[in-house]
Amino acid sequence: MAAISLQHITKVYDKGVTAVQDFCLDIADGEFIVLVGPSGCGKSTTLRMIAGLEDITSGQLLIDGAAMNDVPPKEWDIAMVFQSYALYPHMTVYDNMAFALKMRKTPKEEIDRRVRAAAETLNITDILTRKPKALSGGQQQRAAIGRAIVREPKVFLMDEPLSNLDAKLRSQTRTELMRLRHRIDATFIYVTHDQTEAMTLGDRIVVMKDGYIQQIGTPQEVFRQPKNMFVAGFIGSPQMNFLPASLAGSSLTISHETGQAHIGLPNLVTDADAARPVVAGIRPEHITLAPAPTPDALTAHLEAAETTGSETWLHLTIAESPVVVRIPADSYSPEMDKAPIYIKPQHERIHLFDPDTERRLDGK
Amino acid sequence: MKNKTNRKKFSRTLIFLALWAVGLLFLAPMVLTFTNSFMSAEEITVHYGEVLSQSTGGGDYMTEAVRLQFIPDIVSFRQYKTFLLECPKYLYKFWNSVFLVVPIVTLQVAVAALAAYGFALYQGRGRRILFFSYILLMLLPSQVTLVPNYLMAKWLKILNTRLAVILPGIFTPFSVYLLSKAMGRIPKEQIEAASLDGAGPWRTFTQVVLPQCKSTMYSVIILVFIDNWNMVEQVLVLLTDEDKQPLSVFLSQINAGEVSLAFAVATVYMIPPLLLFLHGEEHLAAGIADSGNWKE
Repeated sequence: MAAISLQHITKVYDKGVTAVQDFCLDIADGEFIVLVGPSGCGKSTTLRMIAGLEDITSGQLLIDGAAMNDVPPKEWDIAMVFQSYALYPHMTVYDNMAFALKMRKTPKEEIDRRVRAAAETLNITDILTRKPKALSGGQQQRAAIGRAIVREPKVFLMDEPLSNLDAKLRSQTRTELMRLRHRIDATFIYVTHDQTEAMTLGDRIVVMKDGYIQQIGTPQEVFRQPKNMFVAGFIGSPQMNFLPASLAGSSLTISHETGQAHIGLPNLVTDADAARPVVAGIRPEHITLAPAPTPDALTAHLEAAETTGSETWLHLTIAESPVVVRIPADSYSPEMDKAPIYIKPQHERIHLFDPDTERRLDGK
Repeated sequence: MKNKTNRKKFSRTLIFLALWAVGLLFLAPMVLTFTNSFMSAEEITVHYGEVLSQSTGGGDYMTEAVRLQFIPDIVSFRQYKTFLLECPKYLYKFWNSVFLVVPIVTLQVAVAALAAYGFALYQGRGRRILFFSYILLMLLPSQVTLVPNYLMAKWLKILNTRLAVILPGIFTPFSVYLLSKAMGRIPKEQIEAASLDGAGPWRTFTQVVLPQCKSTMYSVIILVFIDNWNMVEQVLVLLTDEDKQPLSVFLSQINAGEVSLAFAVATVYMIPPLLLFLHGEEHLAAGIADSGNWKE
């Protein structure tokens, strides 16, 4: 295991494109960190800088206190699983896994022992003699992980390792990775654009956008207290609804088609009594259906309904703003699109954001 | 309906026969060389006597008196006996060919593979310009570079030595071009994975990159071998000492005499490239295909 410290890391490419800006993060020994964000946010570049595959323009990278900026990758005790797996096509799975150990002049018996142990852990003993071309996507992925774990590295880097798998296999492999991480004594840094992977795997999540860190926190922290509208919208599926509103004291007013809903926010501590515009963020699962209009209910119209099996996502509009509501599948009836729907946000779960800065307003 | 099927069958047979005829036409010189290598000197004189008499007099090369005959009247191994045992100067020429071509092929493939590795995997400044100039060089016919090669050999004081032919033979852009295309197709992640696995540039080259270019390497070997096995002009300019000249030069001057030996010499001469081709035929096709579809 190893502690990693990234101090004010910046990456600027030759053509002046800034990929990562002032990235600061301390990763504890044995921690599982997930870098998550949309394409082009700089998460893979950050990982590649940690791997030594990209030069660091400025800032410092420390592994166990030692500066690693100018140390070539082969001298680091780091293993990486690539998105494309990057298995050597001319070698068998066994040789792929043994390659790094051979490079380090490990005795043959030790190589054999470690390769077979890793293969057993990953349940790939029966494909050791096959070449990558003869493997399925899932098997290739396991072989790639096997190649990394056989080295028993201090740090594991994973660059979207599940993105080439189909949905079912991805979910299975995710569970296996969770199991694996408890068996392996290493620090993990995992890159993904999939927020489900981030939430399920990470001890802490680093949400990135346009090269900047947006928020660092545990999955629960990031989900419950997103620092800004980007994080709030990115984490959670379906994504959080944003409605223009105004806040006066601890009363939130949201306009809807037939008037205004006044929602009391008793948990909110604010000194300002004058009304100010805000953006109310409400997650689809934190909205309930009301049988009749009430002062704190919003009137909406159903545009479409998506049934996923156990639940239904109602796609509504409230004064031209789209809103998604997640309800149990049993609560949905086709009659709903014939009349207005009344919805009530759970007041203790409403997030408030500044419409200009998009930053979180309340201290909850 | 039946008529239509018959017509279709007929036209297919016609095409089939035409293709066979063209194929045989292409094969004929090889077959003729091989079968005539078993003719005695007397029989060759009877059939190709005019070639001998006219060529020495400097007149027309082929006359109507030449009668092509595929099957020898009497099978004789005389030509082979003379070539291999009684008149060793031609056997020496064969070995001269080997001593020139083997170093050229070996060193050219080694140098080209290293240069291609650089072109394909390193993004240094000036790479594109250098690569472009390589392609330009490739477009020049070898006759154009013959004079500069002569001047260079003279300056290096290696004129009339094997090195004068071998050195320019080693540095040819075509192999670099083919191999850099094949290496460029190897995903960058594999090279990165190798460096994380602890392999330096040399180990990455020998253990990750080269094994994946086996087919292209083989096609380069075959093409370079055939190209140099048949060289004539370079040798005539750079290696004038007849004792060091390869068999290809002798075969090109066959009209100067010794026609009675030419068929056996040509047959033996064909064997090495033929064996090489047969051994690596599948690699040749795959290798040329591998060198295509490359994104720079």
